[in-house]
Amino acid sequence: MKPVLEARQLSKRYPGGPGPALDSVTFSVDRGEFVGIMGASGSGKTTLLNVLSTIDRPTSGKILISGTDLGTLNDSDGAGFRKDRLGFIFQEYFLLDSLTIRENISVPLALKKIPARKISAAVQRLAERFGIAGQLDKYPAELSGGQRQRASAARAIIKRPDILFADEPTGALDSASSTGLLNVLSEANRELQTTILMVTHDAYAASFADRILIFRDGHIVSELFRTGDRQDFYRDIASETARLDGLRTQPRQHV
Amino acid sequence: MNTLTISLKNIRKNLSFYALYLFSAAFVITVFFAFLSFSMDDIIVEKISSDGRVESMCRTVSIFLMAFVIFYMTYSNRFFLRRRTEELGIYALLGYRRTSILALLCCENVFLCTGALLLGLFFGSCLHRGIVLAVTALLDLNVDPSGIPFFCPRAAAYTAGFLLVVILLLSASNASVLLRTSLIGLVRCRKKAEKKMKFHRLPAVAGLAMTGAGYLLALDILRGEDSIWITSGFYLTGMITLSLVVCGTVLFISAFLPFLLNRERKDEDRFYTPSRIILIPGFIYRIRSGARTLIMLSLLSAAALTVSSVMALSLYYPVAALSRITPSEIEFRVTEEDEISEARSLVMQYTSDPGETSFLETDIYTVSSGSPGEYLPAEYSLGTTDAASKSSGNLRDPGFKCISVSSHRALLKAQGREKAAEQVPALKDNECILIKYEPNRDGSSEAGRTYSLQVGSEEIAVTVKETSMENSVSFANSVGTLIVSDDLFREIDNSALPCRRILSVNGNGVRDNEQLYSALNHFLEGSPYLQGHSHRQRELLSVNSSTFLLIGFLVVLFFIASGSILYFNNLTAVSDNKNDYRILWKMGYSRKRIRRIIRRQVLVFFAIPFLFGLLDCIFASLVYKNALMQNLLGNSLLLYLPVLLAVLMTGVIYLIYWLITVHACCRAVFTDSGTGRT
Ligand SMILES: Nc1ncnc2c1ncn2[C@@H]1O[C@H](COP(=O)(O)OP(=O)(O)O)[C@@H](O)[C@H]1O
Ligand SMILES: [Mg+2]
Repeated sequence: MKPVLEARQLSKRYPGGPGPALDSVTFSVDRGEFVGIMGASGSGKTTLLNVLSTIDRPTSGKILISGTDLGTLNDSDGAGFRKDRLGFIFQEYFLLDSLTIRENISVPLALKKIPARKISAAVQRLAERFGIAGQLDKYPAELSGGQRQRASAARAIIKRPDILFADEPTGALDSASSTGLLNVLSEANRELQTTILMVTHDAYAASFADRILIFRDGHIVSELFRTGDRQDFYRDIASETARLDGLRTQPRQHV
Repeated sequence: MNTLTISLKNIRKNLSFYALYLFSAAFVITVFFAFLSFSMDDIIVEKISSDGRVESMCRTVSIFLMAFVIFYMTYSNRFFLRRRTEELGIYALLGYRRTSILALLCCENVFLCTGALLLGLFFGSCLHRGIVLAVTALLDLNVDPSGIPFFCPRAAAYTAGFLLVVILLLSASNASVLLRTSLIGLVRCRKKAEKKMKFHRLPAVAGLAMTGAGYLLALDILRGEDSIWITSGFYLTGMITLSLVVCGTVLFISAFLPFLLNRERKDEDRFYTPSRIILIPGFIYRIRSGARTLIMLSLLSAAALTVSSVMALSLYYPVAALSRITPSEIEFRVTEEDEISEARSLVMQYTSDPGETSFLETDIYTVSSGSPGEYLPAEYSLGTTDAASKSSGNLRDPGFKCISVSSHRALLKAQGREKAAEQVPALKDNECILIKYEPNRDGSSEAGRTYSLQVGSEEIAVTVKETSMENSVSFANSVGTLIVSDDLFREIDNSALPCRRILSVNGNGVRDNEQLYSALNHFLEGSPYLQGHSHRQRELLSVNSSTFLLIGFLVVLFFIASGSILYFNNLTAVSDNKNDYRILWKMGYSRKRIRRIIRRQVLVFFAIPFLFGLLDCIFASLVYKNALMQNLLGNSLLLYLPVLLAVLMTGVIYLIYWLITVHACCRAVFTDSGTGRT
């Protein structure tokens, strides 16, 4: 199967930063995969996501998404690329306050100049799937955090992106809302074949993925594949992160 | 750390942010100080004011100016306070007492206002010097500008004192805001969950209807004699129109616009486009909190534009009408024969090249008519019963003033009106041209009417071949003029009717020759029948220009203020929603498209006050021109030139502010790391 995303030797240095935020990262994601990225705070997860999604440029390295080399895109190509191929979910929801939930979900399709009739139908269908059909005519401020995050997921998925980037989508949610959102995401992944790249530092959230990349200090230190069911995978992830934490603390004791 | 060091550090850290505040404060202080220096400058004020008018006007303007400074400073202070509440909330969370925070704000205000004062005093002195130079040049004042001090300490002391009061007021207003807001309110004041907006049909329709009705009522003035303005009285109709338009504007902005846009929002086919889906809800969202500012600015723009164009109209009109009131450069009524030769010698004495000068003597006969009174034109008896003319002793006898067509032509030529001279038709002995004072209100014309003239014992019938506004003799010496053929004129000449002779002096040498005019005036002992074109023009300019200057000053000030308010208002709105633009960018809106969205968002807020100002001003000056002004110049569109100029200037000021605002907003959105791929 041809990968939908390929990252080769990605590095990113912030001017004035102590070391590289990304350090020669190489990996690829297949179409329809649900990949989780884990790592401690400051390990470079958000930087990776920004670089992969054309929001930031890597200092060196190459990124191919559906065969397009992101290095060749200028500002307006980048915008067009995000419009047609990428979807985003953020920790802080980032819904537009002045728009209703229905309008918020419609924006990506309106931007693609899809006829209004088709937009309405698509929004309705997706809202039912995500359990927010009753909230469509409300404003974001009137919704709970979980509902807002589901709306924001619907907004990202509605345009059928090649890849959906999610940066700690459950970071601000309680556990029930988190489970709701993660179920919705994995359902979209299974039934709509949406490719998902999700950053999280939470082993429970990560266990919904098919594969986990664990980050430390800007590079991948470990990779885990889901073989059995979700509970087994969760235990694998928990023990692996514990092992890595041990590795991290032991050398310090000698210092 | 004590409050002083924190506030100093704060200012140093956010220099660009405070610079805006500093410069806008410095700007108003500059204007205020320049004005004070001007009005405390006895040398100039005495020169331009003959009757204390300028002094009293200065007092009025200075009250307006103080109100304006207070308003403007409060507004920008609020604006900055609002942008900083988050930071202040963090101080509060860290355990600073509110009184310390208040002291911090006061310190900052004192620093900033001192800086603004110093800047303002310097630039204000420069501005004052500029005004003095402009005024002396414009009014031809006999003043040595170097005698006027560059810096006026008295005005500076006043300005500093006033600024102290302003700082106290600002501190009081800050205190009231800080003490009223809870801690949590301070930390996250910006995004309050606002109430849903309701869209009522009734006020929306009422807004549209009232505005429309007001404008229709204003248009009714064009119906002339039958108009409601004449039949029900000017002030009553004026008040009704004004209230309709004001209420209409309020409802139009607060109810009709949201209602209209909400309908747009429901129309899915039109709504789901990349820009509209962002613009329309954004506007509805903003009008909830911004309607009051928008209404205030619209009404103020309308007032300022109307005042300035009415004023421009009333200054421009008398000057433009001079071509009819005093068509010749100098004209006077000859009462004794030797006046002519004496006048000639005076001209020789005061003119550099007397050869260029033309002297024309014209005989004007007063002829009464046997035609019935209601058939005669209004000019026939104009000024015979008028109370104003009676008291000044200028009461004239009713009658036609007849002059011959050849002397009429000769006068027109001497006045340099070749074209008008050519257009004077040849007249048969039973024909005449009637010179109108102003066009008939109902648009009728006397052309074709036949009047009987009593010449000696004979009754001679003459038919009006055409009416004309091209008079060659001033209205002081001839109203109700009939131009008759030379033959008929000879007949009138022979029948011992009352006659007056006037001397008209024209030519380059006598133009704008004030010395000559005063010599003649002295010689004729102040006769009211002496008319000088340039003299009158000078008089009009010097009487009106100080008024014009002061009100123009206020109007320009107002537009700069409203532009700045719109600037602040839009910049806050856009930078408060910086995140929204960042999301749009991430969703695939290109920078170009986002810039276009910002441009249009800001444009709406500039366009509404401008368009309301424009419409109100057009209708108001229409009413003013048709109801309150004499109609000496007919209904030429050219008369609206000053209105057009006022509107154009406003448009240019708003346009510049719009561009600056869009630029600042785009910079606020794009320089942030979130959307900046460098
Ligand atoms: N805009 C930036 N400028 C400078 N340094 C940055 C910037 N963003 C992130 N960093 C640095 O890069 C490293 C990785 O950050 P980030 O990708 O946000 O980590 P994570 O998302 O895993 O918590 C951190 O050390 C952080 O300080
Ligand atoms: Mg992060």
